[in-house]
Order: sequence, then C-alpha cells, then structure tokens
Amino acid sequence: MKIKDVGIAGTLESSDISIRIENSESEGIEIELKSSVENQFGNQIRKVITQTLLDMGVQHAAVHAVDKGALDCTIRARVMTAVSRATKRNCIPWEVDRCAE
Amino acid sequence: MDTESLTEETLLHSGRESARVADFLRSQGLQLDDDVEFTVVLAAQGSIAATGSFAGRVLKCIAVDPQYLQSGLSAKIVTRLIREEYILGRTHLFLFTRPANVPIFSSFGFYIVHVVPSQVALMENVPNGIQRFLRTLSTSAPKGKNAAAIVVNCNPFTLGHKHLIEYAAARCDMLHLFVVSEDKSSFPADVRYRLVVEGTKNIAHVHVHKGGDYIISAATFPTYFIKEYQEQVETHALLDIGIFGTRIAPALGIVKRYVGEEPFCKVTATYNRIMQDVLPRYGVDLEVIPRLTSGGGAVSASRVRALMREGKLEQTRELVPDSTYAFLMSEEARPVIRRIQEAGQRH
Repeated sequence: MKIKDVGIAGTLESSDISIRIENSESEGIEIELKSSVENQFGNQIRKVITQTLLDMGVQHAAVHAVDKGALDCTIRARVMTAVSRATKRNCIPWEVDRCAE
Repeated sequence: MDTESLTEETLLHSGRESARVADFLRSQGLQLDDDVEFTVVLAAQGSIAATGSFAGRVLKCIAVDPQYLQSGLSAKIVTRLIREEYILGRTHLFLFTRPANVPIFSSFGFYIVHVVPSQVALMENVPNGIQRFLRTLSTSAPKGKNAAAIVVNCNPFTLGHKHLIEYAAARCDMLHLFVVSEDKSSFPADVRYRLVVEGTKNIAHVHVHKGGDYIISAATFPTYFIKEYQEQVETHALLDIGIFGTRIAPALGIVKRYVGEEPFCKVTATYNRIMQDVLPRYGVDLEVIPRLTSGGGAVSASRVRALMREGKLEQTRELVPDSTYAFLMSEEARPVIRRIQEAGQRH
C-alpha cells in the first residue's frame, strides 16, 4: 500500500504520541523520533511503529513521531489512524489488524 | 491548577473576540499580530488560561497564564494549531520565538533553523527542511568561485531591478537572484518570479531562485514578542541575514551581495546597515548600488504601482522592460490592477 498524502494522528500530551506519516523519498521505513524516554524505550518505539506499518502492508514511508511516554497500544492506534488519513481509507477494521485493500 | 474543566474555543478573527485575546497577550508582555487567521483559547469561566494562533504556516502568539504553567496547556494548544493547519493542507510549519522557549518547542517536534542569541529563534516541524532547501539550490546551479547574490521582491520587475542585476552579473561568474516568495505584495509571488525570469533571460550567468521559506521578508516576520519597533526591525534583519550568511551563501559559494540604494524606506535602510556590519563576518562583501533614475526620479516598483493606482498604465512604459509591460497590458494583470486601486495600498 502506498502513502500518498500526509496523515497525522495523536497529540503532544503526556502518555500520547504524535505521528506524522508521508511518502518517503527513499526505500523502506524511515523514522524520525523525538521521545522523552529515548534512552529507555527508543528502540522499542521504533520497533512498534515499523511493525504496525508492515502489518498494514506499508513498506515505504517517512514517519515523524513525537513521543510523550506512550504505551505500545497507543503507538499502534495512532500509527493506524495516521495511515488511514494518509491513504483516505478506513484501515482500522476493529479487532482485525490487516488493512482492507 | 485544575485543567480538566477548561473549555476550548477557536476563533476566526472578529474584532471583539480578538480584543479579549489581545488583552491576555498584553498581560504576558506579548501582542496579537495583525495577520493572525486562527486562534485557539483554553478558558476557565470566560477567563483565558492559554492561547495560541497562526498566520499562514507560522505558529505564533502562544502564551499560558502563569497559574497554569507545567499543566501541559501549551501541548494542547500546539496540538490543536497543528491539527487545524493540517486540515488546511499546510504541513510544513514554522514558528518564531524567544530563544528561551526552544526546549519546549523542541519537545513538540520542532527543530532549530537559526538562532539569534537572546533575540529570536526560528524553528520548523521537520528535521531537515533547510537542508533540503539548500540542496535544491545547489543542484539547480553549480557552486561558483566568485558568486554573488541579490535578494529581490520585484513587485513588479522594473528597469531599475534590471540595472542592478546587469551591474552585478558583469562583476561575478555566477549571479544568484532570490525572489522573495511571500504573498504579501500586490503582485502574486508566482507572477513576480515569472517576470524576473523573463526580464533576465538575456543576461548571462544569472540563476533565478525562489526564495522559499528561508528568506524572510520583513512583512512576514512576526513581531508579537518584541515591543519596540526598532528592535523588531533589527531582530528581523539579524535573523534573515544570519540564515543567508551561515547557510545560503556557503551552499552556493556566494562571496558578495548587491543591494540597491534605499534613500526613503527606513526599514530597508536599517536592514542594509546591518548587512554592512554582519555579512563580512560570514565572508560576504556587500556593495550598495545607486538606483537607476529616469525623469528626475528613481526607477522603482513603487513608482510603477503608483501609476497603476492612478490608471496611468502607459506611463509605466519607460520604467519597465517589455516583458513586464506586456504583463501589465494583459488580461492577467487586471485583478492585480484592481486590487492596487481598491486597496490604495503602498505595497
């Protein structure tokens, strides 16, 4: 699935993560992360973002994330919403993790 | 302080409501800029706890009542502003703020473009915005050994501009013209750019670039956090010249900048004086060129606009090149002429 527009989701408030996703100029998934807990959880956050995107069938994207201490479930939810908005499709069939093609 | 009970209001500007916001900002030592398009307010029983606004792609006038500091209100405000900008399709956003506020905006995902210590910081919401801009500049024109630059608005392009450009082009191996991209002039930015390209196409080794987001005209520079007018003018100049000197000039190997003499406009004169002081520190020389005159006056864009305002288009013939005159006489120019006549504006 290709990202065409820019999609955003989330807020800058404590325990949330703000995600912006857009088309990438290069191959693969690039993540620019700002996190208040970079040292402890930076890798984990990047892993969750990447995995969520791959699960949705997104292989190439540029992601800008500002994390304020979000849990994995929050990160997944925000990523899925941002992708829905970037592709203008409902990519969140509840309880199912696969994006409708 | 309890933030759960705060109500959010958004305003598209109307006199009375913005007066309330302006009063609050004033109590925080700030002002409400005139060009603000959208404002969000968090209030408790009608009294403002926090506010933030934007004009175009610039976030500004963000303030939190001291009682509510450390309650995450600025995060709420900035989130709301960003969301509204995205709804409008604007995703590359900027803000100008006091350098002391850099850490907080940094935590919101903004990155420094340039800082003038103790005075102003320009930030953007992408990590490599200015780097990408510099890359486009240097790929569109190779680095010169003896490159020069002129920054122009050209509202519209006149023989006065042409004179300055020919003078500079004859004295360097590559002349970079930057046309200010802001749409705050009567001639739209794309038309101004086009007329510069057409008017200079026969001049050797001239490259015309769109100024983009990193050449900041005085018109767009937010002044809401600076009280004194003179300080506003100087701070803008230091920021803009700082970006030019530390980023743009090195990317293109520019060692000289040319500017037309400015006898009337005090703001431009201040800007030129600061360039004179500051540019040499970045290895760039400044040369001020006397203006082209005709019929006892300087050939300037403001003179052309004055004639347009008076409906005396044919008299612009001697002030502009054929390409600009052809535009002025065309259908496409009608809305511009009308706008100048109706607004009675100097710019």
